[in-house]
Amino acid sequence: MSRESREVIRVANIVKDFRPGFGLRRKRVLHGISFSVCEGEIFGFVGPNGAGKTTLLKVLMGLIRATAGEATILGCDVHETEFRRHIGFLPENPYFYDYLTGREILTFYAKLSGLPRAQRADRVALLLGWVGLSSAANARLRTYSKGMLQRVGIAQALVHDPSVVFLDEPMSGLDPIGRKEIRDLILRLRAEGKTVFMNTHILSDVEMVCDRVAIIVSGRITYEGAIEDFLEGDQRESDVVVAGLRPETGVQLEEKFGASLRGHGDRIEVRTADKNVNPMLGAILEAGGQVLSVTPHRVSLESIFLSAVEQDRADEKERER
Amino acid sequence: MISPALIWTIATNTVREAIRNKLLYVLLFFAIALILAGALLSSLSYVESERILQDIGLAAIRLFSVAIAIFVGVNLIHKEVDRRTVYTILSKPLSRTEFLLGKYLGLVLTIWMQMAVMVMAFAGVSLATGAPLTPTHAAAFFLTGIELALVVALATLFSSFTTPMLASFFSGGLWFVGHLTRDLRDLGAASDLETVQRLTALLHRVLPDLESFNLSIEAAHGLPVVASDLWLPLLYGGGYVAILLVAATALFGRRDFR
Ligand SMILES: Nc1ncnc2c1ncn2[C@@H]1O[C@H](COP(=O)(O)OP(=O)(O)O)[C@@H](O)[C@H]1O
Ligand SMILES: [Mg+2]
Repeated sequence: MSRESREVIRVANIVKDFRPGFGLRRKRVLHGISFSVCEGEIFGFVGPNGAGKTTLLKVLMGLIRATAGEATILGCDVHETEFRRHIGFLPENPYFYDYLTGREILTFYAKLSGLPRAQRADRVALLLGWVGLSSAANARLRTYSKGMLQRVGIAQALVHDPSVVFLDEPMSGLDPIGRKEIRDLILRLRAEGKTVFMNTHILSDVEMVCDRVAIIVSGRITYEGAIEDFLEGDQRESDVVVAGLRPETGVQLEEKFGASLRGHGDRIEVRTADKNVNPMLGAILEAGGQVLSVTPHRVSLESIFLSAVEQDRADEKERER
Repeated sequence: MISPALIWTIATNTVREAIRNKLLYVLLFFAIALILAGALLSSLSYVESERILQDIGLAAIRLFSVAIAIFVGVNLIHKEVDRRTVYTILSKPLSRTEFLLGKYLGLVLTIWMQMAVMVMAFAGVSLATGAPLTPTHAAAFFLTGIELALVVALATLFSSFTTPMLASFFSGGLWFVGHLTRDLRDLGAASDLETVQRLTALLHRVLPDLESFNLSIEAAHGLPVVASDLWLPLLYGGGYVAILLVAATALFGRRDFR
């Protein structure tokens, strides 16, 4: 991605306070969020539940007003309406008029999006096909499952062929096949040169499709950049499963390669730094051990979130002092 | 810029929702049952049976229409926010004002359609029992239609910032008081206290004067009406609706949907 590409989404120092109830103390949910997304990028906004992802997306969609800060999409203030011709939005757990059929609801959204009458029917039929709802097109939404509603949500977000698409937890509530379909759809959008902004708390979803991520924890961005840099910034490790390892060899591996051993009867799992894997495999084979598998060990999102949350708590204490 | 096409899209969809809502058919059924009961009651009485029939019929149409208007009106915006259907709709190139006006227009059309069905039942019963149908009846229904548009605007205003429960309480209360403000002003004018006079006159001026849309006595007695009996209330109702909708859009436009 070239650095000169056009900036499509710009978020500058967005702060959002919620007043949980009348007269109650204000609660700060977003503490000055800033980032930008360039044209053609697939951007992942990642964080644990309650981090503030949906809140930021609502600010971008003009559904709530930021307490402070500035947000623009395609160079327009988010409270304008005209530019929305070029954006699509899939909310979290979307809900639609359930007295309409799939075809009716998409036609309704197509009209609202300003799609010319002549193109509407074809475009709606095309999208119903894309999301696999052609056979349910004439059934009322009341009879749809959660996964089908998610598909309607995606179809309405794309019905007017927008150039920027915002997805809030697009894979939630879907089975593995559904998740794969959504991934393929996002990749297709990328191939068409669209910009995609997606909220998620599942890192593996992000890994497969996103060019860049921002990690948000407790209303603050803790990381922004390429996903590979994020995952590989730390020392990476691998798990080697071996059988027929003599106890003295195990001790030797611990001393020589800084490995940690976990036993399961005859099978032993040995974890070591990536750079030690090859020499260690040699040592194991030499000692008559049998290598069953070698698996790169990924830093889990949970551990990242947990450490970030702990860091956040520590900061909080620091500030209180 | 306000787009009539977008408002119309929202309005027609709102009408479609009402047409597919079974509850409204139940209410309509009761209204028509009451009109028929009026016919039955009037046949038991020997004096002025047509008048009793029409009194009951006109009252049934007004009461049921207002009940439906408030019942549907207060849920109108709240349901959209509560079920989060606004999220996707407002992400389209459509302003909040257009959305609110579309919902309002759709609801008014719905109420008018319901009223038209009741009026047809009323006309049918009147014809069947030989009760007179005069142009004054048409005028009375026309003004009831304006009153309903005003009541829907009240419900829309309240529903744009408070719960359906409170909104129906406020709208119902204002509808009730709105039918008393004229009498109240006349009572107050007869008072010796200047503050009472001022207060009742002010109430009459600020709160909607819904008696100005009431021609049921004239209709039941077959009294003639003149053009100004129609266009003055029309102007008054239209102005009042405009003010209520401006307030509603201002409140709705600033709301956080969370
Ligand atoms: N309407 C609201 N009123 C008060 N607090 C809210 C409201 N909506 C969300 N929050 C709080 O804001 C925080 C962020 O929520 P959200 O943006 O939904 O998180 P995410 O989408 O990342 O899971 C949470 O702590 C939540 O409790
Ligand atoms: Mg969320």
